Amino acid sequence: MAIEKMKLMGIIGNISKMNKILRLIILNGSLHVINSLNRISSEDFVLPPSEENIKALEEIPYLKPYTSRLDFSREEEIIKNLIGIFNLRPEIKREYLGQDYEFDDFMKQIFNVYSTVHSIAESIEDRKKSIEQKRIYIENLRYLEKYKVNIGKLVNMKLLSFKLIRLSKENYSKLKKNYENIPAVVLKIADEGKNVVVASITPKSLEETVERIFSSLNFTELPLPENFNCSPKVAIKELEESIAEDKKFIDSMQKSIENYKNNYAIEIEKAYARLEMEKKVEEVKTSLAIGKKLFFMFGFVPESSAEQLKSELKATFGEDVIIILEDVDKKSPGLTPPTKLRNIAILRPFEEMVKMYGVPAYNEKDPTAFFALSYLLLFGAMFGDLGQGLVLFTAGILLRLFKKSMAVFGGILASLGLSSMIFGVLYGSFFGSEEVIPALLVRPMADINLILAGAVGLGIILIILGFLYSILNSYIEKNLEEALFGRNGIAGFVFYILLLYMVYGFAAGKSGLPPALLSSTAAIIVLMVFKKPLSGRLTGTKVLYHDSPMDYYIEEGFGVLETVLSAMSNTISFIRVGAFALNHAGLYIAFATMAEMTNSGMGSLLLLVIGNIIIICLEGLIVFIQALRLEYYELFSKYFRGDGIEYEPVRIIKAIPGSISFRQKHSSKRNTSVNYAF
Amino acid sequence: MDRVARFAAVNTKIKAMERDFLNSEHYIEMLRQRSIQDLAAYLKENTPYSKFLNDINPETINRTTLEEVLKRNMVNNLDKLLYFFHDNYRDFLKALFLKYEIADLKNFARDIYNNSKSEVAVDSYSFIGKYSKVSFDKLQKASSLRDFILALEGSEFYEYVKPLLDGKRENLFRLEMSLDSSYFSIIKKSSEKLDKSDRAIIEKWEGMVSDLYNLQWIYRGKKFYMLSPEELLNYTIDMGERINFSRRRELCYSKNLEELKSKADQLGFGFLFKKDETSDIFMERRINRFLFHKLRALSRRYPMSIIQSVAYTWFLDFEVRDIFSIVECIRYNLSPEEAGKFLIRAV
Repeated sequence: MAIEKMKLMGIIGNISKMNKILRLIILNGSLHVINSLNRISSEDFVLPPSEENIKALEEIPYLKPYTSRLDFSREEEIIKNLIGIFNLRPEIKREYLGQDYEFDDFMKQIFNVYSTVHSIAESIEDRKKSIEQKRIYIENLRYLEKYKVNIGKLVNMKLLSFKLIRLSKENYSKLKKNYENIPAVVLKIADEGKNVVVASITPKSLEETVERIFSSLNFTELPLPENFNCSPKVAIKELEESIAEDKKFIDSMQKSIENYKNNYAIEIEKAYARLEMEKKVEEVKTSLAIGKKLFFMFGFVPESSAEQLKSELKATFGEDVIIILEDVDKKSPGLTPPTKLRNIAILRPFEEMVKMYGVPAYNEKDPTAFFALSYLLLFGAMFGDLGQGLVLFTAGILLRLFKKSMAVFGGILASLGLSSMIFGVLYGSFFGSEEVIPALLVRPMADINLILAGAVGLGIILIILGFLYSILNSYIEKNLEEALFGRNGIAGFVFYILLLYMVYGFAAGKSGLPPALLSSTAAIIVLMVFKKPLSGRLTGTKVLYHDSPMDYYIEEGFGVLETVLSAMSNTISFIRVGAFALNHAGLYIAFATMAEMTNSGMGSLLLLVIGNIIIICLEGLIVFIQALRLEYYELFSKYFRGDGIEYEPVRIIKAIPGSISFRQKHSSKRNTSVNYAF
Repeated sequence: MDRVARFAAVNTKIKAMERDFLNSEHYIEMLRQRSIQDLAAYLKENTPYSKFLNDINPETINRTTLEEVLKRNMVNNLDKLLYFFHDNYRDFLKALFLKYEIADLKNFARDIYNNSKSEVAVDSYSFIGKYSKVSFDKLQKASSLRDFILALEGSEFYEYVKPLLDGKRENLFRLEMSLDSSYFSIIKKSSEKLDKSDRAIIEKWEGMVSDLYNLQWIYRGKKFYMLSPEELLNYTIDMGERINFSRRRELCYSKNLEELKSKADQLGFGFLFKKDETSDIFMERRINRFLFHKLRALSRRYPMSIIQSVAYTWFLDFEVRDIFSIVECIRYNLSPEEAGKFLIRAV
C-alpha cells in the first residue's frame, strides 16, 4: 500500500549493439525512460572514474541527441498490404521478438514475398476492374434491351452521334420546355424517379454545341461498349459470360494466394511484430544521447525489477554494456521520479479512480487505501441494501471475469456491492423491503434525525483524517509553512476543532462563548494570515512574496474567509450521505405503494422488479457520483495534490491484461510517447 | 403545430439579437475610419461586436482575421436560431444556411484551382461542414478539383457535382455553377416540407430572389461570357415570382442587351440598369437594396412565420457584407461619401 521505490538506471552501450539492447529493454518492459542529455548535463551526474568507465568518460563531451530518425513507411506499407491481401489479424508475440535477428535482413525476405504476391493481387485487381466496367455496360445496355438494333452500328455511326445520358428531372423539364431550340433528337428512354435517362442523336458537326447544352444541364453520360456487332440483348449475354470467365480466373488466383498465405502467414506476423518493435525502438532513441561509439540512456526502474533488468542485460551483452544503478532519494530536485502505485489486489481498481483526479507525486502518501475504504463506506451508507448490493457484486464479478476491458470497473463494482450488502444487513433492507430481514443497527426511515446526524458525524471523522493526511504529507515534503500554519495544516486543524466545539456549545444551548475560546480562534486566524513571514522567521530565511506583499495579504485574508466558510460547508456537505440513505428507502416505498395499488399478483411483482431495476441503475449511479464528489471535493482538496508523473515504462506487450479502464483513451495516447521526467 | 408555439420563442430571440445590429451612427463612424486597425478598434470599443473581438488585438489585425472573426460571429448567431427549430423547419433553416457554406466551398475550390491552398488559413472557412455533411478534413486533402469533387461524396452536394467527373468537365466554372444550382434545388425541396402558409411565403421570397439573380445572370452571361441562349436558360434558377419560365426564356433569347433591358423594364426591373455607365458596378448593390426592402416588408406582413428567421439571416449577412465593403473602401482610400455608395444600407 504505497508508492513503489524507484531506482535510477543508466545504461551505456556500444552503438553497434544499440538496437538489440533497446529491444531487450522494451521486452523487459520496466524502464521508464527519461531524456538522457538532460540527465548527463545535470549537476549531480557523476560517472566514477574507474577503468571500465574510461571510454564512456571520454565520450561525454561529444554527446548529442539522436537525430537520424529512420523512416519505416515503406516497410509499414508493404506489411499492411500483405496483411490485407492475406486477411490476417496479427498479434505481437513475445517469441517473435525474443529471437536474435537483424531487422533489415529479415525484411528483405518479406519484400521478396511481397513482390510475387503483389503481382498476383494486382492481376486480380485488374480483373475486378474489368468486371466492374462490364457491369456498367450491362446496366446501360439494359435501357436499350427492348430495341432490336445493332449496338455496334449505333455507337459507331459516321455522321451522327448517339449518346445515352442521365439527367435530373428538373433539368430534363428545362430541356423539354426549350426543345425546339435544341439541335438534337432527344428520346426519353427510362424514368427512374429522381432521374431520367434519355438517348440523344445529333449530327457530328453539332456534337460540340449539344454537349455544351447538356453540360449546362449537368448530364451524366452512360458509356456503351463499341465492339459488339449484335443486338443489345445478345451483347448483354456475351458480357455476362465474360464476367463469369473473369470470376473463374480470380478464383484460381485467389487459391494461389491462399497457398502463399499458408506458407508465409507466420513470417508476416513476425514482420508485423518486429516492425512494431522497430518503431518503438526508434521512439526510445529520441531520448538517448549518442557519442562516437557509445550511447547513453537513463530511466527509472522500480526497485523490485531493477536487478532482473540488470542481470538480463549483463547476461546477454556482458562487457558491451555498463550499468549504473543509483538510489533516487538523494538526487537533485529537478529529477522527478515517476509514480508506480502498489496496492493489494482488492484495492488496485481504486487506483484508477485516484488517478482520475491526479497521479500522486513520488514522495506523496498514496491515498488509495484511505480513498478506497472511505469511498466504500460512503457508498454503502448511501446505498445500503443486501439484495441490490448482491446484484452489483455479481455484476462486478462477472465483468471482471468475462470482459477484460472492463475488469477495473468490475473490481470497483464488486467491492461497492459488498459494502452495500454489509450496510444492507445493518439497515435491514433487502431489495428495498424492510420486512424480510431484521435491522442490526437502525432503519433509516425510523430514525431520520439520527441518520442525518450520523452522516455529519462520519463526515467530521473523515475530514479530521484528511487533515492528518495533509499534515503528514507536508511533513514528508518538509514544507514547514503548510504543515504548521496552512489552512490544511495544524493551524487549520486546530481551527476546525475549535469551530466544531463552538458549534457544539451553541447547539447544546450554552449561552455565550468563553472568551478564551474566542481569542484563541482569532489567534489561529492571525497565524494563518501571516503564515509566510512566520515560517520565514522559524527557518531563518528571508520572506519571498510572489507578488507584492499587499497582494499576498489580501489573498490570504480572503483565503481565511474561505477557510471559515468551507469548514462549515464541507462538514454539512456530508449530510447527503444520510439523505441518500433515506432517499433509498423512500424510492422503494414509492414503488411499493404503486405495486399495492395495481392490486394484481403478477402486476405488482412486475412493478417491484422494475422499481428495483430503476433504483439500482439510477440511484446506484447517483450515489456513485455523489460519493466520488465527496471524496474529490471535501477530502482530496485537503490533502492530495496529485501532480506526479505516472510510471509508464517503454514496452510493447501490455504487461497486465485488462488494466485498461475508463482512462483508456487518455492513457493509450500517452503510451505512445516516451516520457520525460523533467 | 400552432404558429405561436412554433415562432414565439425564436422571434423573441431574434428581436433580442437584432438589438446587436449596427445603427446608422455606427456606420457613419466606421466610414470615417482611415485604417483597418482603426476600424477594428472602433468595432471593439463602440459596437456590439466587442464581444467577438475580445481576444483580438486591433493593432495587429489584418483584413483576413477581421473577416474571419465576423464570419465566426455569423456562425455563432445562426446556430442560436437553429436551437429553436426541429425536424423539417430545422432542416429548412440548415438548407438556408448552406448558402454561406457554398460560398466557402467555392472559395476553397478556387484556392485549390489556383494552387494557393497552403497559404490560406483554415480558419477562414468557418462554414464548411457546419450545416452539411461535408467533411472538411477530407476536403483539405484534395489537391485537384477532381479530388475536391470526390471529397464531397456523402454530402448533399455530391449528386449535383458527380456528373462533372467524366474527365472533361472538371473545371471551376462548372463546379461553381453546379454548387450554386444545388443550393436552390435543395432550398426548394426542403421548403416543400414546411407548413402550407410558410411554404407560400418562402416561395414568394425565394421567387423574388431568383428573379433578380436570374436577371443578373442573363445580363452578365450575355455581356461577358457570350453564352448561348440555351445554356443561359439552363443555368437559370428554376423559380420566380414575376419572371416565370416562358418570360425567362424570352429574356434569354433577346437579341441584344438593349432588348433585354427594355424587357426587364416592362417587368418592373428597369431600376437595375439605370444610369448606364455604372450599372455593372452597382447592380449587386441595387439587387441587395431591393431585397432588403422587400424582405422588411414581408417580415412586417407575416409577423408569426418563418420569414422572421430568414430575414434575420439576410440582414445579418447584409451587415457583415457592408463591413467587408467598408474594409475594402478603406483599403482603396475612398472618401466616406464615395464609400457610402457601395453599401447595402443607405447611410
